[in-house]
Amino acid sequence: MISIEGLYKSFREGLLGRKVHALQDVSIDISPGEVFGFLGPNGAGKSTTIKILLNLIRPDSGRALILDHAVQDPMVRKKVGYLPENPYFYDYLSAKELLWFGGRASGVDSRILKSRISELLDRVGLQAAEKRHLRTYSKGMVQRAGLALALVHDPAVVILDEPMSGLDPLGRKMVGDLILELKAQGKTVFFSSHILNDIERFSDRIGIIDEGRLRLTGNLAEVVSRGESLEDVFMRTIGAGEGGVRQ
Amino acid sequence: MRALWPLAVITYKEGIRNRAMYGIFLLALLLFAANFLICGMIMQEVGKVAVDVALSAVSFSGLLLVLFVGINLLAKDLDRRTIYMVLARPISRGQYIWGKFFGMAMLIISAVGCLGGCALLSIASVRWAFPGYFPRFALGPVVLALLLIALMLILLSAVSFLFASFTTSSFVTLILTIISYFIGHGVAAIKALVEAPETVGIEVSTATVRLVKGAYYMFPNFSLFDIKIQAAHNLPVSGTYVAGTLAYGLIYSALVVTLAGLIFSRREFP
Repeated sequence: MISIEGLYKSFREGLLGRKVHALQDVSIDISPGEVFGFLGPNGAGKSTTIKILLNLIRPDSGRALILDHAVQDPMVRKKVGYLPENPYFYDYLSAKELLWFGGRASGVDSRILKSRISELLDRVGLQAAEKRHLRTYSKGMVQRAGLALALVHDPAVVILDEPMSGLDPLGRKMVGDLILELKAQGKTVFFSSHILNDIERFSDRIGIIDEGRLRLTGNLAEVVSRGESLEDVFMRTIGAGEGGVRQ
Repeated sequence: MRALWPLAVITYKEGIRNRAMYGIFLLALLLFAANFLICGMIMQEVGKVAVDVALSAVSFSGLLLVLFVGINLLAKDLDRRTIYMVLARPISRGQYIWGKFFGMAMLIISAVGCLGGCALLSIASVRWAFPGYFPRFALGPVVLALLLIALMLILLSAVSFLFASFTTSSFVTLILTIISYFIGHGVAAIKALVEAPETVGIEVSTATVRLVKGAYYMFPNFSLFDIKIQAAHNLPVSGTYVAGTLAYGLIYSALVVTLAGLIFSRREFP
């Protein structure tokens, strides 16, 4: 369903153009219907991997496929829903207009779209605010609108970058339930987080990335089977010791 | 086109609801009101002045629209990463540029339509107050002048999209667009001057002639779209000139936006 093979990505930084390796030989395979939790500390390469999957940036080498199609093909994104980290949307559009755009641009029939928008806004708790401009929304409301936008075209693959970011406990519960619903519907979910509890609750498989390298992948049950908590595994994998300080 | 239309629609809505639009329209209304006062003060060639001032107000307000609303519509997408929500759809980078451009063109046409209506009201109010000064007034040339103003603004917007496709700062795009606007307005007259300097008794070096010719071919000729004088004096404008100018504006805009799309296709959005 999602196949990432030997991805390398580097960026130039600063006046001298110092090369920073964001990803080094990252390979991941995610099967249909799987919820894959992508875990790593800040700046580990989670968002870079996701942006390559969305073709927002291009890898230096390696390839990424979704539904057996190269991610460079825009048509792949008809079947992909994406929630960016800290999403920003157009200030003067309403949530309803935002979802209209998402649905129509993805080729959803306008008659189906109308009921889908209403259903999704109700699901994310924005029905009462559907006509308000997005600039008047709180951070949590923007995140909810972003989730609805990611799902408006009923995608087969859902990619969520830090979906719980900025949400209150109610919002976190709603997102968690949504991920479980998607899983029940047989959707493939790829979500990144640095919150261990979220990964542990929703993932079938996990990947731990650190300093641009994929350090560990495996079934969650197998990874934490030896009496260790996910936190222990994570700390050991990224080489952090007592107090979360790297060795 | 299926992917372009929704993007054009949200670009248009985002632009038309922008608060900067209120400022631009308020300024335009003040200029139209000033038209009445100016004509009342000068009491000479009132009909021509009324048309010239009204059309200049539309042109100036449209310029502000392109510079401060149009450029921001694209720049904000890049600065605030709202472009992610667009490119996460089955929309290529080239289609993104075209969709934004169509939205901006719709915004310009609506704004010029609205401002043009106000300009006609302003001219009508002056005509009502000073009916003796409008012996040669005709509506057709004024409407034609408004049409060409809209096309000039669409072309300027296309040029701003080209600059935005390779710069990383909206300020640089703004400066380059303003420079293009001024060069595009004056370069045809300067070219005519440097090619026949003896007519005004000056000497021009070969390098200067080459430089001016280079600028003439590099920048769009915005002066072609300016028929305010003809409209004010009700002078004839040939159908060939209008058709040629329309074709020039549309083809030039299409080429510039296509080039912008090609350059933009190479960009990454980390």
